[in-house]
Amino acid sequence: MNVNINQDGDKYNVAIEGRIDSVTANQFLSDLSPLMEAKNADITIDCKDMSYTSSQGLRVFLMLQKSTMAGGGSLVLVNMAPAVKEVFDITGFSSIIKIV
Amino acid sequence: MKDYGLDLHCQSILDEYCRNMDSFKTMQRIVEGILKDGLKENALLVTAVESRIKEESSLAGKLELKGRKYKSLSDITDIVGARVIAFYTDDVDKVASIVENRFDIDWENSVDKRRMHNLDSFGYMSLHYVCRIPKSLHDDPEHPEINSYRFEVQLRTTLQHMWANMSHNTGYKSGVEVPAEYLRSLNSLAGMMELADNEFSRLRTAINDYRRQVSALMMDRRFDEVALNEETYRSYLKLGPFDKLNHRIAAVNQAEIHNASLVPYLPVLQFLGFKTLGDVDRMIKEYSDAAFQLARYEIGVTDLDIISSNVAIQDLCIVFIILNGGGDRDLVQLFDLISGESDYNTVRADRVLETVSHLSLTK
Repeated sequence: MNVNINQDGDKYNVAIEGRIDSVTANQFLSDLSPLMEAKNADITIDCKDMSYTSSQGLRVFLMLQKSTMAGGGSLVLVNMAPAVKEVFDITGFSSIIKIV
Repeated sequence: MKDYGLDLHCQSILDEYCRNMDSFKTMQRIVEGILKDGLKENALLVTAVESRIKEESSLAGKLELKGRKYKSLSDITDIVGARVIAFYTDDVDKVASIVENRFDIDWENSVDKRRMHNLDSFGYMSLHYVCRIPKSLHDDPEHPEINSYRFEVQLRTTLQHMWANMSHNTGYKSGVEVPAEYLRSLNSLAGMMELADNEFSRLRTAINDYRRQVSALMMDRRFDEVALNEETYRSYLKLGPFDKLNHRIAAVNQAEIHNASLVPYLPVLQFLGFKTLGDVDRMIKEYSDAAFQLARYEIGVTDLDIISSNVAIQDLCIVFIILNGGGDRDLVQLFDLISGESDYNTVRADRVLETVSHLSLTK
């Protein structure tokens, strides 16, 4: 699993590659931690190459969503594969986190 | 002190005013504090509580005009003045009750300007009290004048305050002769403000009555008699109507339930044609088994151990549509409302229909 973050002012473009599961979730959290402290951060996460997310991954997305909203920013997940989107749908998370 | 050219009598009143300035400052602080405490104790929200001490030049001007009317400074009742500006006319009466209960009122000099207008006239509307600070609230033997000097408290609504300020600046007190037609317009505006004030109060009373009625119907669980709207839906959610199904679904994977707001589902319920809370309650009763079957099929084969608290209502809406003959277009509309418009919603609708085809869903 790889996380690539490009920052341009308040805009953060994040690309995720690989699986977020029990093995990689801690690394995923650690990679996204700087974004959780940012104020007014407009974060776009490109999920094109994210092949799977487990519950641990959902929890990290949820934490990022909460911290971003609290900091006055925004979070959007884009290019998600249908199989991954299904995880967000059946757990109800696709109506909490913006996915386009 | 500036020389205002006053006669000896008026000058002695002005001297007394200057000598007692510290006492007036103490009075101002006490009066404002008592008013604010009273409002707080009665949980009464107002636009503003303000106070002032009459300016030396303003007092000199008053003495110059009608100084002979006053034997001493204690005859002048507005050296210290406070004003409470309330939102509603009804609240003015509540503040009045606080003033009457806390201060000693000089009834002879207190005026309810609201009652001074003829049936066919409109204009300045305020309740003016002339008061003293009772010894029970402040007693300083070295400064008995704090209890003997009178002060004024004005009570009015925000709209009355606005009209009073506007008419003061533009009307007969502006120092310039104003043509009668403009004064007539000002007075007709006062009539308009009075109508608006009455309407605001009437609306507040009506809304409070409605809330009480809804609350009583909810207590009796007479949901069919409660229209579905944001306010009633929020109250209904406090009863936790979706908790049972959420816990049932969560139990499949021993999952944690993340609390999410269900308020955004109101447009979804309205889209489904629900008019009353009874419609929502019936959906929960009649479709919970089918919604559980769908959720169990979807989640049971995964190791997902977290769900959002909107899963129950989401799956209820899905099975409600399907069991009432809805197709992929209806599901896409549902998902557009739940998650925002997206091309993916068509894929999701097809996936749900495929899933449901493996189940034997019934009401």
